[in-house]
Amino acid sequence: MSWRLFELMLWAAGYTVLLSGISIVIGLGLGLLVCAAKLSPNKALSLPATLFISFFRGVPLLVQLLLIYNLLPAVGIMVPSVVAAVVGLSLCTAAYQAENLRGGFNSVPRGLIEAAEMVGLSPFQQLRRIRAPIALRLTLPALVNEAILILKASSLISIVGVIELTRMAQNLAASTYKPLLFYSVAGGLYLVICWTVAGGGSILERMTKAGRT
Amino acid sequence: MTLDFALMADKMPEILSGLWVTIWTWLVATILGAGLGFLVASARRYGPAPLDWLLKLYVEVLRGTPFLVQLFLLYFGGPFVGLRLEPIPAGLIGLTIYASAYFSEIFRAGFEAVPKGHVEAAQCVGLSRGQILRRILLPEMTMLVLPQCVNMAIILIKETAILSIITVPEMTGVISAIGSQQYAFVEAMFLLAIFYWVLVETCGYLGRLAEARLSKFRFAVP
Amino acid sequence: MSDVSTAPTPAAQATPQTATPAVLVKGVTKRFGETEVLQGIDLAVPAGATTCLIGPSGSGKSTLLRCIAFLEEATTGTIAIHGDPLGFAEAPNGQRTRLSPQNIREVRSRIGMVFQQFNLWPHMTALGNVCEALVTVRRMKRSDAEARGMAQLRRVGLENRAKHYPSELSGGQQQRVAIARALALDPEILLFDEPTASLDPELTGEVLNVMRDLAASGMTLLVVTHEIGFAASVGQRIAFLDHGRLLLNGSPREVFGEPRHPRLAQFLETYLDRGAAALL
Repeated sequence: MSWRLFELMLWAAGYTVLLSGISIVIGLGLGLLVCAAKLSPNKALSLPATLFISFFRGVPLLVQLLLIYNLLPAVGIMVPSVVAAVVGLSLCTAAYQAENLRGGFNSVPRGLIEAAEMVGLSPFQQLRRIRAPIALRLTLPALVNEAILILKASSLISIVGVIELTRMAQNLAASTYKPLLFYSVAGGLYLVICWTVAGGGSILERMTKAGRT
Repeated sequence: MTLDFALMADKMPEILSGLWVTIWTWLVATILGAGLGFLVASARRYGPAPLDWLLKLYVEVLRGTPFLVQLFLLYFGGPFVGLRLEPIPAGLIGLTIYASAYFSEIFRAGFEAVPKGHVEAAQCVGLSRGQILRRILLPEMTMLVLPQCVNMAIILIKETAILSIITVPEMTGVISAIGSQQYAFVEAMFLLAIFYWVLVETCGYLGRLAEARLSKFRFAVP
Repeated sequence: MSDVSTAPTPAAQATPQTATPAVLVKGVTKRFGETEVLQGIDLAVPAGATTCLIGPSGSGKSTLLRCIAFLEEATTGTIAIHGDPLGFAEAPNGQRTRLSPQNIREVRSRIGMVFQQFNLWPHMTALGNVCEALVTVRRMKRSDAEARGMAQLRRVGLENRAKHYPSELSGGQQQRVAIARALALDPEILLFDEPTASLDPELTGEVLNVMRDLAASGMTLLVVTHEIGFAASVGQRIAFLDHGRLLLNGSPREVFGEPRHPRLAQFLETYLDRGAAALL
């Protein structure tokens, strides 16, 4: 494989990281909202959140992507395929992250909240100063895990025509007639990315461990 | 936009055959994947150290790359090393290998999670290594890993959709083809999404039911 | 309660006449990396009596018990059960050789063990736990094993809990099932590793009562315990370990009586507020 082609693969890998990163961040924000809605005592909020989580976790990402990619134009929203792809990835990861966050909030030890109550923190202060920081720290490993899952799942956006790592490998494999080489290189690049994220995650975890409960 | 599900109705036989392919490929890959995963986990626990490293690499590579890329490598790359597979066998083999890596990690954690004292108690009453594995470790582990196994099985239902990309005639492939023919792609995708949703929720419900039944075997941690 | 109808009273066997001790520990050391947990222990556990091992946390008493159960291997030294070497045989020149796995299992099968954490197998009923080894190791017929298992459960007062799973039993009940499991194999020696340490205070009584009955029946018991009151009233021999050394070994009167060894006095101080030291 020439350096020129490898450069193309590297560029595509960068695009994969970029699109996954954007989706993770949007998904985290959206996930927080969905989680808040799900934890709300108000049924009008918690029921849609439950449905949202169940749907996006219950339907294959491939089907979600095909649906969003075709649904947007059908309702008159014309966007480039990469936008549809990021929307799809973000919605999907939002559902998973909402569940992770809910798990984090639920595992904040009851006693810590009671202690906050006893020293007079208001419910909002309890959330901001005690529950949210602890819950986010408890959720960190799940977040890193989710980032890796989305990096791998982003290979599916190749199906709606986004030229990321998998699609690039597919194109080059077809034009050079060397599928073994290009899919292996793509696999290797995914490995490097995933292992880097996993390694970074464990360093981050160790750094925040001091304050662990 | 109008949704016209009537268009789909006369295609029912094809849809059902796609559903059937989805279900059987899923079941076969899950069972074979769990079996292979158990072998990998056992070999890593009881085998020599070099085998452990080799299998660790196997697991980490499979867990660090997208299933789609693995599938492309097998299906499009395979013929270049003399491995020419039809879509369904390629899909089954790919999904089984992919699943085995995740299952092996579940079982590995399961082995670790059985309290050491339970093994010691068995040693003290004279059970042999094989008896301890068969009578104590395996049954306890089964209960411990059941929730994760159900979870993995659910992930695999969804992964079967990816097999449509290498033209396996499963539900996603069949229904999207019908949708394109009839210019009703969005309707088709909605129908498909609902199929999967029902399948996944049913599987999850059955899993929780099984878990609840087994809960009395759970540890009573002193 | 017991099948030994003519159980001698503890007082009558305060100085057992048996020539070979039930357990003979000779020069046992145990090292975990750099730390030497046991620094050369010599101990003879008399047959037909209750010996209590006491000492502060980290003194090595549980490690010693686990070495006697061969769950840990002593770094040096030997252990014999009624004269038969366990795990290692020692040649006259002091060389240790490892015995065969069959031999280890054979000798160890004469020892019963009760753990601090109970370690009941969660996927088996109380009766299943008690019968497991009878069926799989002793190859008894299931019906015979169950009859015997029921008898042992009756002995610990739990025949009406036979079909319950461990998660459905209280801690005290679980520990009594664990005792029945050990008794079912008819061991010559029963080892207890802090059997009440993970129980709520109100549940320790039922377990200690079962142990008292066993002691009265003339079984050989070796008990690692923090229950000083139990040790003083039931134990016929008291061994006091401190920092991996056996500091004292004798009858309760000898060990607890005045003048007290300063380390023992210091150790007992921590129990004063429980009123236990006053009982001695």
